[in-house]
Amino acid sequence: MLVISPVKQHRLPTFSKSILIIVGGYGSGKSEVAVNLSRQLVNAGSAPVAIADLDIVNPYFRSREASEQLTSLGIRTINPTGGQHYADLPIILPEVKGAIEQRQGVLVLDVGGDDVGARVLSSLSESFIEDTYEMLLVLNGNRPFTADLDGCLKMINDIESSSRLKFTGIVSNTHLLEETTVQIALDGLELARQVSRRSDLPVAFLSGLREIIECDEFDNVDVPILPLERLLLKPWESSAGDE
Amino acid sequence: MAKVLMKGNEAIAEAALRAGAEGYFCYPITPQTEVAEYLSKRMPEVGGMFLQGESELAVGNMLFGAASTGKRVFTTSSSPGISLMQEAISYMAGAELPAVIINIMRGGPGLGGILPAQADYFQAVKGGGHGDYRTLVLAPSTVQEAVDLTMLCFHLAQKYRNPVMMIGDGMIGQMMEAVEFPDSYEEPPLPSTDEWAATGALDRKARIIKSLFLDPLGLENNVLILEKKYQQMIREEVRCESYKISAKNKILIVAYGTMARICQTAIDELEAEGVSVGLFRPISLYPFPEKEILKEATRKNIKSVLTIEMSMAQMMEDVERAIQGRRPVHFFGRTGGIVPTPEEVKEQVLKLLTVKHRSSKKKS
Repeated sequence: MLVISPVKQHRLPTFSKSILIIVGGYGSGKSEVAVNLSRQLVNAGSAPVAIADLDIVNPYFRSREASEQLTSLGIRTINPTGGQHYADLPIILPEVKGAIEQRQGVLVLDVGGDDVGARVLSSLSESFIEDTYEMLLVLNGNRPFTADLDGCLKMINDIESSSRLKFTGIVSNTHLLEETTVQIALDGLELARQVSRRSDLPVAFLSGLREIIECDEFDNVDVPILPLERLLLKPWESSAGDE
Repeated sequence: MAKVLMKGNEAIAEAALRAGAEGYFCYPITPQTEVAEYLSKRMPEVGGMFLQGESELAVGNMLFGAASTGKRVFTTSSSPGISLMQEAISYMAGAELPAVIINIMRGGPGLGGILPAQADYFQAVKGGGHGDYRTLVLAPSTVQEAVDLTMLCFHLAQKYRNPVMMIGDGMIGQMMEAVEFPDSYEEPPLPSTDEWAATGALDRKARIIKSLFLDPLGLENNVLILEKKYQQMIREEVRCESYKISAKNKILIVAYGTMARICQTAIDELEAEGVSVGLFRPISLYPFPEKEILKEATRKNIKSVLTIEMSMAQMMEDVERAIQGRRPVHFFGRTGGIVPTPEEVKEQVLKLLTVKHRSSKKKS
């Protein structure tokens, strides 16, 4: 069984709410954050963890592709099965609504990108009870439409109106995949702080590849940190990532 | 400009704008719809034309009409959609019109699936439409290369007044990678469109842009004019790349697009295990880098060639033609949306090496 054993003991994100909705722009790294967060929560061991892939806009690179690994960790995965696993159809399993309403353990919802992807939440919005969920905006300052403060505020606005739900926090996840540097992640955190000041949403946590986020520059960061292991890999990365 | 993280489809869209595309016609289909989504926002910002057709059939003919004006115009689609455009592509080749067509390929035949494939090689390279014509075809293997080649496509379409196609498997469109756009777009000088484009005949004689030549001598003459351009493409537009080719290689892998990247991973891992293999990657699929492959494949140390595709031995026919029987050409591929893993590639290489050892033992 894979266990996260941080080399450095950062303050890991913890939540008192039972539903964590992970939303953001395309390419913000939502799915990678969602699967890693699920791993961390199961590792913390407090409650049963389930993850539902609600991505109805992307045909590839969705969290459902990590479902085998997640299941082996004891995480319940709620995804379309059979041929529909591969479909790009707006399929919302009845189990998702059930899991939201039952509120047993922690439920992570991995939602598709942009306001278009977040629209799926509006069909479920009546099942959400206020103060029982966190809705987190995953921010990547290296994506064209969230590269500056205005772009990020527009993204918040667009997603809130299409999802009919309000954000409760921000995840700073600025990256350039394998080309990410410490400076890129620090600049991203600064952008997240600016967005936080203007939107009144707290920075819930900072996330990034472990090799970046464990550099000394992040030792005194005043927000929780979630180190990421890449679980959603491209085919030519598969062997390298299996260690 | 600093690097940004972009999905292949978005990067292709942005690259087209930066290469001066003024008209884009489309019909949504997975896995390329993000190109249209992105351009629906961006095209109006640059004052260009974004138009969604009622089908790919309509889109092909919108492109035909728009290309007649000499402007930079293009479309993107995926396999079944590209099939519907073949008639228009043939007409544009016949009428000598510049247009860019980008195919983000999914599994086929028929409606197939939505996962990545390279099964439209024949359609792109051998001409999916009717008549004596060719389409210049380029195939990127990274998102950055998709940006660079998209821009190049617009130049080449104008240079040859011929449809130019870029093909990438679904992964090229769907994956995110860090990309950089040039600050300004520069290209070699091009012939003016003043002599032929349909730009309004208020103060000059009207022009007719057509692919109809009822007089057989006239039609043959048109085909010969086209043929001359294709010969020029063969001389000037061959593009390819090699990876870890050395005198220690016994096997030469030939692969294109993202399949080549999977082979690179396999080659790196084999190298760590003491097995030396080289990769030849065609970037232009038409014109096919025949001389270049022949040269690499017939080096003394090369015993055999292994073509690897996300299709069923389509490019292999061109590899065999290039090598002219001077080395055995083997094939490995998966299709239908299944992407071969580096492990599968390694297994094929090791299998070939064992077979070779056995046969050389027999001889001694």
